Order: sequence, then C-alpha cells, then structure tokens
Amino acid sequence: MMPGHIVRFAIAIVAFAILARLPVGLDPAFQFDAALAVIWGFGILSLVLLTGYAGQVSLCQATFAGVAAYGAGMTVAGMHGGYLLGIIIGVLAATVLGVIVGLPALRLHGITLAIVTLGIALVFDKYVFQDHIFDWFTGGTGGWQVTQASLFGIPVDSSKHLLTAYDVMLALFGMVAVLMVNLHQSGAGRRFRAIRDSELAASTMGVNLARYKLLAFALSASIAGMGGSFYPRIAGSVSPQPFWVFTSLQLAAIGVLMGVRYVPAAALGGLFMAVVPDVLTRYGHGTFMNRFNYDISYDWFQLAVGVLLVLQLILLPDGVWGDIRAKALRAWDVVRMKPREEVRPA
Amino acid sequence: MTMLRIRNLGVRFGGVVALHGVSLDLNRGEILGLIGPNGAGKTTLFNCISGVIAPNEGTIHFEGRSLRFAPPHERARRGIARTFQNLQLWGSMTVLENLELPIDAIARRNTLSDALGLPFSHYAERAASERARAILHALGLGRYRDRLAADLPAGIQRRVELGRALAMRPKLVLLDEPAAGLDAGETEQLAKLLHKVRERFRVSMLLVDHDMSLVMRVCDYIYVLDFGKVLSRGEPPVVRNDQKVIAAYLGEPTPELVEASPTVPEPVITTTIPDAPQLPRTDAVEVAGETGTLLEVTGMAAGYAHLEVIRDIDLTVQAGEVVACIGANGAGKTTTLRAISGVIRPRAGRVTFGGHDITGARPEHIARLGLAHIPEGRGLFPRLSVEDTLRLAVDAAGKPERLEAAYDVFPRLKQRCRQAVGTLSGGEQQMVAMARAILTQPRLLMIDEMSQGLAPTIVCQLFQMIDVFRQQGTAVLLVEQFVESALAVADRAYIFEHGSIVHEAPAEELRRDRGLISGSYLGSAPDSTEAIEVAANGNGHHRVLDPELMEILSMRVPAEVKRALEERAEREGRSAGALALELLEEVNHTQ
Repeated sequence: MMPGHIVRFAIAIVAFAILARLPVGLDPAFQFDAALAVIWGFGILSLVLLTGYAGQVSLCQATFAGVAAYGAGMTVAGMHGGYLLGIIIGVLAATVLGVIVGLPALRLHGITLAIVTLGIALVFDKYVFQDHIFDWFTGGTGGWQVTQASLFGIPVDSSKHLLTAYDVMLALFGMVAVLMVNLHQSGAGRRFRAIRDSELAASTMGVNLARYKLLAFALSASIAGMGGSFYPRIAGSVSPQPFWVFTSLQLAAIGVLMGVRYVPAAALGGLFMAVVPDVLTRYGHGTFMNRFNYDISYDWFQLAVGVLLVLQLILLPDGVWGDIRAKALRAWDVVRMKPREEVRPA
Repeated sequence: MTMLRIRNLGVRFGGVVALHGVSLDLNRGEILGLIGPNGAGKTTLFNCISGVIAPNEGTIHFEGRSLRFAPPHERARRGIARTFQNLQLWGSMTVLENLELPIDAIARRNTLSDALGLPFSHYAERAASERARAILHALGLGRYRDRLAADLPAGIQRRVELGRALAMRPKLVLLDEPAAGLDAGETEQLAKLLHKVRERFRVSMLLVDHDMSLVMRVCDYIYVLDFGKVLSRGEPPVVRNDQKVIAAYLGEPTPELVEASPTVPEPVITTTIPDAPQLPRTDAVEVAGETGTLLEVTGMAAGYAHLEVIRDIDLTVQAGEVVACIGANGAGKTTTLRAISGVIRPRAGRVTFGGHDITGARPEHIARLGLAHIPEGRGLFPRLSVEDTLRLAVDAAGKPERLEAAYDVFPRLKQRCRQAVGTLSGGEQQMVAMARAILTQPRLLMIDEMSQGLAPTIVCQLFQMIDVFRQQGTAVLLVEQFVESALAVADRAYIFEHGSIVHEAPAEELRRDRGLISGSYLGSAPDSTEAIEVAANGNGHHRVLDPELMEILSMRVPAEVKRALEERAEREGRSAGALALELLEEVNHTQ
C-alpha cells in the first residue's frame, strides 16, 4: 500500500469511530434517521462515481436502490434466505439494471440521457414497484415484511438492533468510500475523469468508451444498491414510496448541493437528506413567542432544497464540500506562507 | 516502407462531400504535411484516420492492417496518436495526469486492483508517472506538472497535447494545427522541436497547419487538399511554386494582372469573369462630405481567455476609403475586426471612430455611431424571412430608411423577400447580410470573409457592390481570403502575420508585387538556416528537447536520483542532461 492508502484508511477508521457513536442514546426515531442517512449516503456516493467522476447524468439512482431493496426483501422474506444472500442478490439486481441503463448512455449525453433515466425511474415506480404483475418481486401491496434477520450470526432486525445494522452499514460505507478515493487517484479513476472532460480525447488516447461507461453505470448502480439492500432490514418492510421518482431527483439535487465530485459530500448529503426533513416535521410546528403559530411540513424541505440549490450554484459552484475544501486549502497555504503560483499569460 | 496507406477515401455529410477519392501514403519516419484552404477536408481526414468518424468509402491501412473495424481506442493501441485543433486536454486534471492517462490506458490496467491499491497497480502507477515526468521535462513543461490543464495558456496547452500524444509511445502522430496562436519565434521553436521529437521518439507525423512557414520547413512531403480532393502533392519547393496551389490560396489571378506581374509566369488557369449584371447606381453619386480619418486604431491588443491573438495593431481608415486586411488564417484579422466593433474587449490600445473614443464600448453603442460589422459566417437568423431580417435592422438602428433602398441595390432579394434566410444560397445570404448592414446607413462597413464558400461569379458581383458603397461615401474595411479580388477593389491594404501588421501599402503596389503577399501566405523560403539557428537558440525561454536528458532518463537510475538531478538542474537553470553528464564525468575521474 502507498502512504496515501494508509492515510485514507486511517481517516476512514477515525470517521467510523466518531460517526458510530453519534446516534447512541438517542431515541429510536433518530437512530432510524441515522441508518437512513447511510442509505441515502450510498445513493449520493453512487452519483459521485457516475456524475462526479465519469460525468454521466442519471436521475434513477433511487430506482437502483429500490430494486436492491426489493431483491433483498424477496430473498429474505419471500425465499427465506439469509440476509447476506439478500444483500448479494439485491446488489446484483441493481448492477444488472445499471448495465441496462448504461446502454443508452453509450449514445446519449447530457439532457437527453437525463430524460431517459428519468423515464426509467418513472416506469419502475409506476409499473414495477406498484404493479401486480411484479408481485413476486415486490411482495404485493403490503411489501415484504422483514421481522428478523441476522448477518454473520449477529441479529440485526430493525426493532431491537437498529444500531447494530447502522454500524454494519457505516463500516461498509467507509470501505466503499476509501475504495472510491483510491479509484479517483489511480489509473482507472483517471480514465473515468477523462471521459467526463473530453470523450473525444479519451477515445483517441486509448480509453475504451463503451467499457468504461458501462463500468461506471454498473459500479454506480451497485453502490446505490448496497444502501438499498439494507432498507428492508432497518425499516422492517419494503414499500415503493421511498424509492419513487422524487427521491432520485432529490439525490441528484443534494448531490450537486454538497459537491458531486467529492466522496465526503456523500456523507454530508445523506445526513442532510435523512435528518433535516424529520427534524422539520417533528419540531416544525408550535408557537413562536407564545404569539405566532407555525407549521412546517415536509413540503418545506423540498422548497428549502430548491432554494439552497440556487444559492449554492451562485455562491459555491463546486458544492458545499468542494468550496469549503478549496477555501481550507487556500487558508492552509497562507498559514504556511506558500506563495501563490501565477499563471503566465501567453 | 509505407506505414499509412489511404486509398480512395470518401466522406459525405448529408449532401456535402467532405472528402472524395483521397489517396495518401505516409512512409515510416516521414513528416507529411497536409495543407489546404478552410473547409478543404483536412480535419475530416484526421478524424477518419483516428476513427472518430467512419468514411463512406475507401480504405485505410496502418502497418499493413486495415483499420476499418477498429474503434478509436484500438487505433490508439496500435500506435496512432493525435492532437486537436480545438484543444481537448482533460481540463480538470493536472498536466501530469494528462500524460499518465494514455500511458496506462494502453496498458489495460485493472479497475479493481486500482481501487484496492494492490502492488501491481502501485508499480504501474510509478512507471506511468516516471515516464510522464520524463516527457514533460523533455518538452520543457516540467514546471507546469501539477497545474490543472484548463488553467494553462493555450500555447502551453498545445505543447501538453503533443506530450500527451507522445506518452502513448505512438508510431504515428497526427498534429492538427500545432502552431495555432504561436508567434513567429515560437513557431520556429516548434519546428525545431518537431524534428527532434522525430529523432528521439522515432515517430512519423502527419501535420496540418495553416502556418506555411512551419509546414514548408518541417515537412518532407506535402499533400494539398482543396474541396475534399488532393489538389497537388510533392516536396515543399514544388508545392510552394505550384500555380494551382497559389490559386487555391490566393484566388485565381485576373488576366490583366498576370501580364503586369513578372513573378508569375504562364498562368495555368485563366479565369473568365462573366459580365457583371448592371447594378443600379444612383446618378446622384456624391461622395459624402465627410473627410479625414474615420477610424483610428493605435497599439491595440486583444485575445481570448489566456491567449493573446493580436498585439500592437495600428490601423486607420479614411472616410470613404476601402481598406483590405490580408494574411494567413490565424493571423489575427478577424480578432481585429471583433475588437474594433466591441464584440470582444481590447486589452490595450485605443480605438477612435469619427472622433469618439470607442475603446471597450458596448457593441450596440458602436453600431449606433455608424459602424456596421458583418461577421464571418454572416450572423444571420436562418428562420427569419428576408423582409423580417431587414426590418429588424431598420428598427434596431432607429433610422427611417425604407426597405426599398436595399431592394434597389439587391433586386434579387426583392423576389425572395418572403423566403426564410436559411434556405437561400450562400451568395444570397451574403447579400442579405450586406443589405442589412447598409440599411443602418453606416459610415464604416466591416466585412469579414465575404467570399467564404461562394462561387467565383457571385464573389465578383459582391466585390462590385463594394465599389458601389465606396461611391456612396461608405468606408469599407475588408477581411478577405481572395487576395486578388480584394486588392482590385481596395485602396490600401494591411498584411497581417502572427497577430501583428507587418506591412501596409497601397493596393496597387501590392498587386504588382505578388511575392510580398505569397510570402505571408505560403511562407518564404528560409533566407539562411544559420539565422534561424541563432534565432532559435538566442531566445531561449523555451527549453527544447534535450537528447542527453532523454538518454539519462532512459537509464536505469533510481527515481530519487532522477528527481534530485532534475531539481538541481532546475535550480541552476541548466539542462538535466548536461548536469548528469558532468557528474558522470566527475565520478569517472575520481575513480
């Protein structure tokens, strides 16, 4: 391992130690939020790979997560398999769908690709997750009920062992995050970034476009699927609602808001997406100074995301994480009194 | 031995024939030049060779194997690398990463082992990085190593593109306009660099450039393309003196001119200019009362982003005068017009028009003062009808001119007034653009590449129109590729070269002295190679390829030693190669 790998690994372990302690002692609703935050964190992480690295657009990341959630639910509740098998089957199902979605991306770019992926999200929402033809996969209107499950012999069912599930997911998230940073700095990551910057140059410099675009979609779908496949366990059941079209859009919006090129932004975004709406709905109503009644609902969250996105695009074009990071690096240069390099005009 | 063999290549885009029956042979170790006017199909040919577009007919063989079914990345692996006219570096990556990528893209690295950081990937990474550093040093780009490619000036980006192509260990490099935006000195450097690159990296090259001085100096053999066909081919001196080539670049010489010109013997082609249609000329032709200097430009510089395209431009236009700007592509003529009309902001200098200082003023403000600019490509709205287009101009100018005035000058437009502009022929579109301009009653009309893509007869009519404008008292500033026709109508001309004006003379004089112009277009033969050596070595702000350095870097020296060597060389401002040789010498002595 190179020094960089060791540093990243150490950072991941420290971050895990801190984050794993955070929800301890909170009430179960917040513990559920913490677990949900990791799931959406996976969702945004999948966009970091696909959009941030490889420059492809996708508005169906929640669909990948949903397919994995149903796949896991079907394996555990429908076929009485172990939860590990459920995760594997869920992630595999998402990966297959990822490759299929990646096929049109070989020809399409930008806005047209966005529309196609949005269409896929709509179709899955309406005609797969909510249609009776696919009851064998979705478990019917009631969805799959996952009451007890264990992973490597550790009981991780939702009601009693929510935090154990959270720790397992967080550890997996940390590993995937480290692998993704490694990837970014290595040859394969450079090839993804080359496709983002100039497909023309990438292909004429020896990058197999078809292969790397499909790989990006497959990897991205499997990362989103990793989060999704844990959903039946922490929620106790699977339903179409968390994986509908709007969640995909929200993942994309929050990904961009937090900085879609940076891995840590995925953790920030997941936390934001899971915790903020819950806080709003729980503490968002009451009386201010005994005079003014207010009632903030979940809808306000959507509005807030929209407004924040506009502000971010103007004020922090590289995303919250990206710009804070850049400012911190510059401040560090000032502290070390390192002269700023000038670009020499031609 | 033939390395690249192209036979009967044909490419059509819809109804437009981009290439037709092009055959070309490139031998191993050769630098082949490909020249031709705009739209001749040079870049299309490059795209066919690198696999970006598939030809409709014909075959391409590389080292004896057909490239027909090979996708671009496969061709790259077989050893074809290229650079791009409009720079295609990966802007969000550092310069070093830009060079590392082709190295490991060729090596088919494994994604999983990269993500896990396995030793295999680690070593491959080190090797790629070493090689990339060596190439950067060899091209004198060492100090840009960790910069983002997008932040670099365009001239440096072009060199990085060359480095990126070389990083692939190519057998053939396709260079698309490597000298674009370089000044004369830098072009000299580039020429030397290309020769050294061929020696050190053992590559063949196919070179497209508009800068004839570069092509004539560097290439062993030249193909001339025109309208998608091979017009001529031969060694540089042969091509330089080929009448067909001169005609394609300068426009065909008019008969009376040929008699007057001693430098052009026996024209191969004589043109017959058809009788021009009788243009409606108002009898009351009176030169407007305006006299004196209308436009005065002093010391102007302008450019785009990091690229300074023109500098020290001094130019005047008297009232009612026709002035032509001539020079090769990329010499800065269009940029000059754009800076005058306010489309781009001048970076230095002063522009006054009719007594007003218009330096950096907004384009609509400048237009209202009576300066009309017809841009290259005419700037029309294709879906608007002719009548609407003209009405728009009248409304915008706020001048109570009747459309009839324009229709009187261009009767053909009257017939087509309901037709969408986009459906008109090229010549008619140019007429619309000119009609639109004169409806604003300009005092100065600037026309950029009026004759581009038009048939000679139409061009002839349009030039007669310029004469009409002059008689009505409108001054005209022309940018033109058809030099002969432009000089026939102009009073004075400026010759542009590498972003500056190198010569100013009455048009008459230039028409007589063809050598002067063809020098600026086709590059004059080097006066003495010695002088060029001195020029190249004298202004040493560019480090050229250093053979000794390459030798050292290819030796099995530990990376740390290499790096220490490079750093010390950089500190002492010497070449790492020389330093290393010196040290080796010392070691030998002590032993």
